[in-house]
Amino acid sequence: MAFFSVEGLTMRFGGLTALDDVSFEVERATIFSVIGPNGSGKSTAFNCISGIHRPTAGNVHFDGERISGLGCHHIARRGIARTFQNIELFGNESTIDNLMLGRHQHMTTGVWRGIFMVNGRSEAARDECENRERVQHILELLDLDGVRERPVRELPYGTQKRVELARALAMEPKLLLVDEPSAGMNAQERTDLGERLRKLRADLGLTILLIEHHLQLAMGLADRVLVLNFGKAIAQGTPEEVRRHPEVIKAYLGDG
Amino acid sequence: MRSTQDYYADVQLLRGRGAWIKLAILLVVLIVLPLVLPGYRIFTVNYMAIFVIVGLGMNILVGDTGQVSLGHAGFLAIGAYTTVLMMTELSAPFPLALLVGGVVTAGFGFLLGLPALRLQGPYLAIVTLGFGIAVTQIIGHSAFFGGHMGLVVPDATLGPIPLSGDISQYYVIVGTTLVLALCARNLSVTRVGRAFRAIRDSEIAAATMGVDVAYYKTLSFALSAAFAGIAGGLLALMTGFISPGVFTFLLSLMFLAMVVFGGLGSIPGAVLGSIVMGYLNLEMDAFEELPLLGPALESFSARFMSTAGLPNVGWVVTGLLIVFTILLEPRGLHGVWIRVGAFIGGRRRDTDAPVGASAGSGAGSGAGPGGPGADSSDPPAGAS
Amino acid sequence: MLPQVIAGGLSAGSIYALVALALVITYKTTGVPNFAQGEMAMVSAFVAYVLMTDFQTGFFVAFTVALVFAFILGVGFEAVILRRVRNPSHLNLLVVTLGFQLALFGLAGWKWGAEQRQFPFPVSPNEALRIGDVSISTLGVATISISVVLMVGVFAFFRFTKLGVAMQATQQDSMAARINGVPTRRVVGLTFGMSSVIGAVAALLMAPLITLDTTLMWDPLLKGFAAAVLGGLNAPVGAVLGGYLLGLIENLFGAYVSVEVKSAVAFLIIILVLCFRPSGLFARHHKRKV
Repeated sequence: MAFFSVEGLTMRFGGLTALDDVSFEVERATIFSVIGPNGSGKSTAFNCISGIHRPTAGNVHFDGERISGLGCHHIARRGIARTFQNIELFGNESTIDNLMLGRHQHMTTGVWRGIFMVNGRSEAARDECENRERVQHILELLDLDGVRERPVRELPYGTQKRVELARALAMEPKLLLVDEPSAGMNAQERTDLGERLRKLRADLGLTILLIEHHLQLAMGLADRVLVLNFGKAIAQGTPEEVRRHPEVIKAYLGDG
Repeated sequence: MRSTQDYYADVQLLRGRGAWIKLAILLVVLIVLPLVLPGYRIFTVNYMAIFVIVGLGMNILVGDTGQVSLGHAGFLAIGAYTTVLMMTELSAPFPLALLVGGVVTAGFGFLLGLPALRLQGPYLAIVTLGFGIAVTQIIGHSAFFGGHMGLVVPDATLGPIPLSGDISQYYVIVGTTLVLALCARNLSVTRVGRAFRAIRDSEIAAATMGVDVAYYKTLSFALSAAFAGIAGGLLALMTGFISPGVFTFLLSLMFLAMVVFGGLGSIPGAVLGSIVMGYLNLEMDAFEELPLLGPALESFSARFMSTAGLPNVGWVVTGLLIVFTILLEPRGLHGVWIRVGAFIGGRRRDTDAPVGASAGSGAGSGAGPGGPGADSSDPPAGAS
Repeated sequence: MLPQVIAGGLSAGSIYALVALALVITYKTTGVPNFAQGEMAMVSAFVAYVLMTDFQTGFFVAFTVALVFAFILGVGFEAVILRRVRNPSHLNLLVVTLGFQLALFGLAGWKWGAEQRQFPFPVSPNEALRIGDVSISTLGVATISISVVLMVGVFAFFRFTKLGVAMQATQQDSMAARINGVPTRRVVGLTFGMSSVIGAVAALLMAPLITLDTTLMWDPLLKGFAAAVLGGLNAPVGAVLGGYLLGLIENLFGAYVSVEVKSAVAFLIIILVLCFRPSGLFARHHKRKV
């Protein structure tokens, strides 16, 4: 069985069918791009995978386990992290605290230990320090050490997107869902982003699912591509195969 | 590269010798205070301390977790009545009765948290409102709870020490307040507090980070209720007598007002806001005695209003404080503090000042003096 | 006995329905329930009282002046306070209405004290109509009739007048309304004025029933709020139905089970309903898109 697979995923909201019988597979340590015109259901697919919506029909399997129908936080604890199209950072919190929330499932401090954090040797303190140390290299990797204590709502848009990515990485996920990471970026930033994602795949063996509007970035990074249109999967394959697929050309450019 | 000591500094309460000195001064002042104040003033301080405890709890629920409660007087009542009944019916010693009061109230808090999982803002507000009123109604109509006549609080002791005077009660109440403030603060800077604030800022993102939102929401209600419950037990100790007429909707409103006024999400703000509102609530009947302002108010009342209604000025002041807070500085007193700090920090570019959360407040609630503007190492973004 | 209980329920329900309607109108516009509404209505009732006792004006003149006052108070509150909230999150707006409520309550208490006053009304609460061998309070009948007429008028206003349609448009999507030329700021102000007037009518009907004092509208506001929640905060018809439902349930419970905890029971029912329908019986549940 593939590392990550979606079978017959269907999502209906009242009378609207956002996803219609979508199936695809993703191999470990690959980058898989999901592209398609606006409203084709890409973010809905991510929302189904991460547990925000319960699929109307279909299954999602991850690392040998069925995750469709599980609650959000259960899916997160299985090793799936994501970023959002519209930034969903914890705005009033600092950068470091956002990342530390990414560590939430790996930390052990509950109410009692938290209350009794009396000195640097207490369990809670050690938990804090260990995890702060772990996210430090993520901060440095994404050039965020300078804004470590700033409340993220004060940060520029591009920086916020980096914080979202950093936060997802702090979870030490096995699968990373990235939703339109290059929105609002200029060419240089996009190149950097592409490099960054490639490095994550290479160095960490991370499997990445990417929703991306910028076709060059999406195709350039991907090992395999899925094309959605009106909630249906109209093409799947390598970037070259997809680029030449007649349905895809029609979807993007229209008939004639 | 940071060392482990640096990381601990993120959450450490007392950083540097200055902090220890401030703590020592604070403790000395608090210990000596009841010995120099006249009796009725000690009562005032005790009363304010009880408000502070409730305020700390409200801050956890409303400030940190972003929920709303218009019924916290109900939790105060549950704590008070449980404590008293433990003492009268089960002859429990006061410390045990107080503890049980807190735990029982926490249980009710958990129950009230359950609807919170499904209900949005105003719907949650009405449920908490209904809860507060239902509690006092049920108490008032039940002979077991003493009905409208209320219950007399039996004499309490802390081991061999009798707690019948203002001074002994002061040490218990203010001591408990300090401990609870420390608990609240520690909770706030560690994993649980962060989870609360994540729920406030983006519930969906919190869930996708692995935060069990249902657990933490109900936990927040339970903790917040526990604080109010303990405050209720201490209130019973102080006043010697409890009746449902104390725990009104207006009191619940005041509890909400004080954390908003102090600054949601800030522990020092909640403490300060509670002190102010607690004082206001207590002194409402004695406005004529204010120096300068008192007689002016009295004559104004006699001419245009009614002298009998003078205590209502307290509500007017509270209401106006709330309105002006929201209009002018929605982050309350804490927000004012930050602005003052930024103003001073902007004046002197102090590179020695630690860039980090101010001591005592939850991490991330805003940079302290010297913070804002100190670093600008971001490359310009493509589109902002 | 049953017809009287039902009549009593309908009478109480009328007042709850009016309050609920007033709440829903402004809720739909701002997304926040206006807690100050109860005290705004109470103050309007006091205005009528003062006119009738200190200035010897007739009831209908006093009634009208009170309504005008209520309108101005509503418009003023929105323009001077609500509109100026700089960070208008739901919590902030909610708290502002709470603050205004407290301030009004304090002012009224300061001015008029705590004594209970008999509110002069053309119909005495003791009169009763006889229908067959059932006697129903005349005041109750008057309350029901006036409320129904007013509510029908309000619904007709929303449906058939230009301003009413503009109000509905603003409530549903203020941005789209503004683009289409609706003067949304003025409309919102007028909505608050209208809501205040409806609330004032409820207070004026309440006052002769239980004597006038500053806590006049506490119970009705709570019940009206509960009714609106029961029916669904963005469904005016639902809110009105909720009000009558609540009045009936309360009175039936009070007559046949126990008078004392009937309010607690009412809230319990609300909580139960909300467990199954988190947005009320008739409303639609909205979810945010991510």
